[in-house]
This record gives sequence, structure tokens and C-alpha cells, in this order.
Amino acid sequence: MNAKENLWRAFGELVVVWVIGLVIAEGLAAWMVASWPVLGSVEAHVTGDATTYLIWQTSAIFALVGGAIIYSAFRFRAKSMDDTAAPYYQRRSWKPFAITWLVVSIAINLANTIYPGMVGLEDLWGAQLQTEHNKNALLVDVTAQQWKWSFSYPKLGISDVSKLVVPVNQPIEFVLRTKDVIHDFWVPAWGIKKDVIPNEVRHLFITPTVVGSTATNPMIRVQCTMICGNGHPMMRAPVKVITPAQFKQWASANSL
Amino acid sequence: MATAELQAQGRGDVAEKSSFHIGMVFPMVRATLWGFIGYYAAAWITAAIMGQVLFDPAPVLFGYLGGLTGWVMGSGIWEGWIRRGFGGAEAPVLTGVDRYFRFSPDSKATATRYVVFNIISFFFAGMAAMAIRVELLTPDSTSWWMSEIHYNMTFGIHGLMMLLSVVSSVIVAGAGYYLLPLMLGVRNVVFPKLLGLSWWLVPPAVVATFMSPLVGGFQTGWWGYPPLAQNSGTGIILYGLAAATLLTSSVLGAINIIGTMVYMRARGMSLGRVPIFIWGLCAAAILLTIYAPATYTGVMMDMSDLVLGTHFYTGATGHPVGYMDQFWWLFHPEVYVFVLPAFAVWLEILSAASSRPLFGRNWAIAGLLGVVLVAAFVGVHHYFTAVSPARFPIFMTLTETVSVPTGFVYLSALGTMWGGRLRINAAVLLVLMGMINFLVGGLTGIFNADVPADLQLHNTYWVVGHFHYTMLGTVIFTWLAALYWWFPKVTGRMINEFWGKFHAWWFFIFFNCTFFPFFIMGIEGMNRRVAVYMPYLQPINDFSSISSFLLGAGFLIPLANLFFSWRNGKKAPENPWRAKTLEWHTASPTPYKVFPEGMEPVVVHRFDDYSEGSPDPVAWDKTGAGESR
Repeated sequence: MNAKENLWRAFGELVVVWVIGLVIAEGLAAWMVASWPVLGSVEAHVTGDATTYLIWQTSAIFALVGGAIIYSAFRFRAKSMDDTAAPYYQRRSWKPFAITWLVVSIAINLANTIYPGMVGLEDLWGAQLQTEHNKNALLVDVTAQQWKWSFSYPKLGISDVSKLVVPVNQPIEFVLRTKDVIHDFWVPAWGIKKDVIPNEVRHLFITPTVVGSTATNPMIRVQCTMICGNGHPMMRAPVKVITPAQFKQWASANSL
Repeated sequence: MATAELQAQGRGDVAEKSSFHIGMVFPMVRATLWGFIGYYAAAWITAAIMGQVLFDPAPVLFGYLGGLTGWVMGSGIWEGWIRRGFGGAEAPVLTGVDRYFRFSPDSKATATRYVVFNIISFFFAGMAAMAIRVELLTPDSTSWWMSEIHYNMTFGIHGLMMLLSVVSSVIVAGAGYYLLPLMLGVRNVVFPKLLGLSWWLVPPAVVATFMSPLVGGFQTGWWGYPPLAQNSGTGIILYGLAAATLLTSSVLGAINIIGTMVYMRARGMSLGRVPIFIWGLCAAAILLTIYAPATYTGVMMDMSDLVLGTHFYTGATGHPVGYMDQFWWLFHPEVYVFVLPAFAVWLEILSAASSRPLFGRNWAIAGLLGVVLVAAFVGVHHYFTAVSPARFPIFMTLTETVSVPTGFVYLSALGTMWGGRLRINAAVLLVLMGMINFLVGGLTGIFNADVPADLQLHNTYWVVGHFHYTMLGTVIFTWLAALYWWFPKVTGRMINEFWGKFHAWWFFIFFNCTFFPFFIMGIEGMNRRVAVYMPYLQPINDFSSISSFLLGAGFLIPLANLFFSWRNGKKAPENPWRAKTLEWHTASPTPYKVFPEGMEPVVVHRFDDYSEGSPDPVAWDKTGAGESR
């Protein structure tokens, strides 16, 4: 039998490992968040904040649990495969540890449901309500088919253009329809996506906040994100986010 | 009677030492022949009656059914099982090497066949993955390599094969069916013929999936979402039927696991003493039995829309989201079928390797069964972008909840290692790495459960990274660990520990180099299932591709290790890891008759008591002795 060891001392060492691990993990998380791609809409800030918050949180959990795995495997290893003497400690459970684990894991879940979960949803739905009640909201009909996008602006008399041009800082209601199979409307920079389902009409509400175009930033592009057949990867459309004055000019030049 | 004495005792007149000769392969050759004849006969007759050609949906459908029947009958099921139903004689049960090459009610032979077939499937599906990574070396359509059409078929085949003929059976079937009777102290499972049948359903399904490009392929990936499924190639028929066949095969195993655990435990094997690995198998089996039927009904309705012209999901009145509801009803829980037994393997190995009782055993069991319970409520997170927002809050909350029972497994594993004396061999090293990988896979899953984050990350490479961490990073790591750990049990020889450990590090490093960049690609806006992507994503894709080639090439190491150790490895002692569970109380390699006629194990103590001077958990008694007492 192996000699009795001081497990509290081992725990003290684990705390040191945890501190080092947390510094490294959160440092990497900070680096990742600092080089985050563009958040180009009101909605992108909501979904982006949810994602970055979870990166901070999961990095910490990884450091704590992963640190404990690596430390205990290292600290409590046998010298060799022939070292088969039973360890001194043969405890089958220890309530304080199990109860703490249970309480903490439920608490993290509840907290995550509230923020970023429900808070994020409330933000998205709040933005949607404002757009729905905003008379100045821009209405864009989006039609998906294998394998192209077309856009119409019914209030402006513009139909079937293959490039999505929108003014910055104006709420937009996208009305999504498909002619054939399931597609998915996604502009990566706008941080939100929605499936386009046959026999159904879907609505997506977005307020772009960053001026730019696919040429200047490839994240600003329409991209189908639901497998829709052989042309799926090429089912993209260029996007241009411009100032309201430029948009007025573009609209008058393109209306019928 | 002591275990050592019993191991040395003879097994009566059972022929075991018969050496291999080529004639033994005859049932496999006959099965293949009958399978091809069945396919073409049924397909041609259907085509002739309906005035169609061979690659129309109906001939392919009936061809598959004919081929499956021919193959299964040719395997030995005709004379070994069916013929008797028609008044004929039943063929004698073969106990020698023959049983590995034909339909056999011996669970050990079935499990061994699973392991070999898993390796073959893993090789081919892995080559498909290599082809995918070659295509993604450049952002444009790499036309000298393969077209977008072939690319779509390749990732569909890769996904379906890896899921349904590799990760679904590597631990449940390969390790599970072998150890299930041994760990419970019985000679065989409760329905040995059904278990024998389950393996014979797998190869035709796999071959059909690989052959689907010959009848037009399919473009949907492994989801088979309508209405794309109905208008993108007849190969989808083979895909759908293969998926249903493989699920049926899994369910046949699941019935056996539950039945054997409930009805066939050795005397004294109370539920409190049943090894944790059997609990893991049981959790997976309960899950499959509950959730599988709704999903393959959905797949069959999808086929019906194509072959019979119904409109469940297609046409002007079809409702494609209904397919998603049915599809993900099982196929999210299905991933728990893969990982729950893997979790249980961790705990089984860690307890023996650190000579500690399994810490918080009841917590761990509650965790395994808790996941089964919560699994019913989580599938919707696979299509948050398709459903009404009314479903967001409830399914977000319930999906996140699954981390609580999953956490109990880590609780138990950490408590077991803490204060123990962990002997780290290749298997234990792989288990530890699998735990770290699953931690990454599980934590990145929170992002997909959280609706706001998921609305951006859904269907991007983030998701691809997430599930590769849980499947390849966890299940395959644990598979290798289980192969190494129980290798002495099955073959009587030791694996080469140096190459085992060397490959574990190789695997861990290049696995992470290949798949961690996927999370960054997802954040940077790379969607999944694309042969062509925006050029700004090329550097990170190249890094991932090159790592993946090294990762893939590395698998030749365990392949060689297993093969050479099987042929020339060091002779293993009866119980190399000094584990106490029942499978180590029989001789290694396991004889056809697990223990001598007339003798039975009686469990007299819990298995995970490793303290000094603890009693042997198993005593041997004459069969039937219990009843007279």
C-alpha cells in the first residue's frame, strides 16, 4: 500500500495550476476576441456579444476542468506499470465535491439561459418589433432559387436585381421566399441567418451599421448556408452598404 | 474453485484450434454472389414491369431489398436459422475459426467481425475525408481533382459512413457485444441470432452507400433534406435505405443489450454491481430503442415522396420542416449513443488503472441515464434557423441542460483519479486525451445551444469543428483506447506500448491542428459543405488540410501495431492490468465456451474494490447450485 498523502496540499498545487491555466486561457480568449471580424449590424452586435461572452466563459471552464484532469493524471501517476500497490485513499464518494459540482453546473446553465440566451433573444425581438412598426423601414423581397439570389424593392419599384444594395443605419425587413428547395439567407457580417423554406414566407429583420461592400470586406456578402445542390457554394450575391444619400441616387437610377 | 484453476481447466470437446483454410470464406463469397444476383434480379424485374431503366427510383429500391435478402441468406442465415422454419434441418453451430466468416450466434465472433469491418469502413470514409481536404487546398473549384458534384457526394458518403458504420458501432458493437456477456458473467447474449444478424446488415448498407454515385448519387449530404432529396439524384434511395438498414442493425444490438442486462446477469450481480461500461451500453440501448423508430419512419416517408409520389414533405402541400423534426428526433440523441459508451469506457479504464473504486458511481450512472432523458428535448437546436421563434427559449434551455448530467461523468472521472495511482499506458493516455477533446467539443456545443450565438454560427465550420471534437476526438480516441485495453483479452497478446503512445501523441497533436482552426473558420464566415470558398479563407484551410494529411497517415501506425501484435505480440498474462471485472476472470484469449460446462461465476463482492486485502469479487459454483439453496 502506498503511503498516505496530503490531498489538501495537492489541492493547493491544483489551485496554482488553475491560476496559470486561467491566465493562459483568458489571454488566448482576449487575443481571439480582439481579432474578431466585422460586426456590421445591430443584430450582429447581439449575436457577436453572445459568442464572445461564451468564449470568455468556456475558456475559463476549460482551464478549470482541463487543468484538473491534466494535473491529477500527472500528480497521481504511478511510477511504472508494475507499481500496482493500491493507493491509500479508497474513498467512494465525497459529498462536498459532488454537491458543489452539481450546484455550480446548474448555476452556470441557468445563468447562460438568462444571459446571453434570453437577453440576446429579447434584444433581437426588440429590434424586430421596432422595425415592424417603423414606417420608414425598407422592404426587400428576397427570392432564392438553385443557384442564385434575386432582390426586389417593392416600395421603390425596383425588381429582380442580382446585387443587394442597402442604406446604412436603416432598419430592413427581408421577406424570404424560395422557388425550389430549402436555402438559407446569410450575410456573415450581419451576424444572423434564416432558412428559406418552400411553401413558406419567412421574415428577417436587420439594421446594417457599417458601410462597405463585398469587394472591401468579403464578410459582407449574401451566402446560401443550407446545402441546396451542386451549385451551393457558388450561391452568393454581392452586397453594398452605402449612405442614405447614395442609396436614394441608386434607387432612382434603378427603379422602373 | 479459484479463478486460476478454472482458467486452466479444459472446455470439453469443443473444436477451437481448427486452423484457417480458404474454404472457410465460402459463406462470404456466396453472400456476395447471392447479393449481386438478388440486386440485379429484383432491379431488372421491376424495371421490366414498370417500363423503367435500372437507375430509376423503383428498380433501385427493389434491387436493394433483393440484394440485401440475397446477401443475408447467403451468409449462412438460410441453413442456420430460416430453413428450419420451413421444416428443414438446422445447420450445426460451428465453434472453430469458421464462425468468423459466416452467420454465427456467437457474440464474440460477431463483435470481432464488427471490429474488422469498422476498421475497413474507417479507412474508406477516412480516404473520403482526405479527398475533401485536398479539394479545400484551393478556394476555387479544383477541377483537376473533383467537381462540385463529386465533392457533394464525397462529404455525404464520408458523413454517413463515419456516423453509421464507424462511430455508432466501434464501442457499442466492437467492444460492447464482446464484453456484454463476459462482464455480466454469462455465456452469450439473450438473442444471439439477432445479434449475429445485426452485423450482416452492415456491409450491404455500406457498399450501397459507396455505390450510390453509380445510380446518380445524391447532393444533400447525410441529412437528406427534402425537397432537394427528391430532385438531386436516385442515389438518395440507396442512402435512405442504407441509413434505415444500419439503424435496424443498431436496434437489434440494443434489444440484446437491454435484454441481457435485465434477464441474464450472473448470480449475485445486482444492479449495484453491474460494471459501469454495461451501464453505458444500457443507456445507449435505451436511447436507441426509444428514438430510432420515429426517425427511420421519417427517412422512409422521404423515400416514399420520391418513389410513390406522396407529398409528406414535397410538392405544394409538403412541409419540409416536418422532416427536420423527425430526422433530428433520433439523430441528435444518436450522438449520445456514440459517446455514452465512450464515457463508460473512460470510467471503467480509469478505475482499474488507478486502482481506485469508481468515484461517485451512482452519480455517473445518473449522468448516463440523465443524458438519455434530456436527449428527447434537444434535437431542435440543429435547426433553430428553420423554426418559429416560439420554440427558441424552451429548446435553448433544455439543450443547455444536457451539460449537467454529462458533467457527472467528469465528476466521477476526476474523483477516481484524485488520490489514486494512475498507471498510464497507451490506452489510459488515449482516454485522458479523449477527455480533453470532449471538453472542447462539449464547451463549443454551448454556442450552438445558445440561440443568439447559434444564429450566426449555425451551418458554419464552427459546427463542423464541434462535432469532429466529439466524434473523432472523443469516440475514436476512446475506440483506440478500448482496442488497446482489451486486446490481451481478445488475442492473448500485448500491443506494442511504445507505438501506441507515440501514435496517441501524433493523433492528439494533428487532430487539434486539423480541427481547432475550424472554429476560427466558422467565426470568419466559412459555411459548411462548400467545394468553393472565398479566397481570404485559404491560408487557414491550407494549414488544416496539411495537418489532416498527417493525421490521416498516422492511422497506419495503430493498424500496423494491431496487426503485428496480433501475429507476434508479447504473450499476455491472464490479467495484465489487474482489473477486477469479470471478463478478466476467464481465460485469454476467450475460449468459445467462456467457462467450463457446469460451472458458473457467482458475484460475491463489488468489482471496483481495489483496497489491499479486498476479497475476490467472483466465486465459482456448480450450475444450478443456487436453486437448491
